[in-house]
Amino acid sequence: MSEAARKRPALDHLFFWFMFSQGGVISAIFLPVHVLVQGILGPLKIVTVADRHYDTWVLLLGNPLVKIYILVLVSFSFFHFAHRIRYFVVDLGLHAAKGLPAQVAFYGGAVVVTLATIWILLASVPVRIW
Amino acid sequence: MTTEVQAAPREYGWRMPAVWWARQRHYFLYMLREFTAVPMALWLLWLLVEIQRASNGPTHYSPHGSPWFVAFSVIVLGFALYHSYTFLKLAGVIIRLKIFDRPIPSGAIVLAVFGTWAVASAVVGFVLIWFSR
Repeated sequence: MSEAARKRPALDHLFFWFMFSQGGVISAIFLPVHVLVQGILGPLKIVTVADRHYDTWVLLLGNPLVKIYILVLVSFSFFHFAHRIRYFVVDLGLHAAKGLPAQVAFYGGAVVVTLATIWILLASVPVRIW
Repeated sequence: MTTEVQAAPREYGWRMPAVWWARQRHYFLYMLREFTAVPMALWLLWLLVEIQRASNGPTHYSPHGSPWFVAFSVIVLGFALYHSYTFLKLAGVIIRLKIFDRPIPSGAIVLAVFGTWAVASAVVGFVLIWFSR
């Protein structure tokens, strides 16, 4: 390895570690309440939740701030999940998950989910500013 | 003068048994922590499906509500809480802050992070319930 190559900052590591740690914090802080309220309390009718009815769900999803929030929640979380699941697979003994093709597959998956989220957020309910 | 024949470097073989993580409680909890990503990812995909269903219009919109979905969510909540607890607890180890040259105790940092979690949960929960009216 040349001297220049050795001194080159590992920018890809910086990016993926940043996404991993931020995704970890964001999913830790925001995900449990969604699972509790939208996954348990709402379906069991313990409380009324916006996503149980079309009108209220669309009203919420039309808000640009809600769209940005959901995009941040999903995208950062999936970069975190990609990193964790990749190393989980390595820990199970599948060392191929350390290689470049696996990295492309896992982080590419996070990119695909991010693009799909943008499309779903924009196509399902139009942006409404009120 | 000695003539030593250098052996070709041998590759280090990975010899961990497949179920190494079942040997010790700490290993198991580590793998459990890493695994939390899988159910959380699946649940978020369900959320995206529900958002996508909003495009079906008022007559065809159907939110998730089956007993299977509730049971799934209960399991995911367990994993999500374990992820939150283990990840946010790390803040006390990672974050080093000083105020007037005095380091903030790690316990205070952990408390602040868990407090942020509580406030954020209350705000999101409030919005989801308030906008149902």
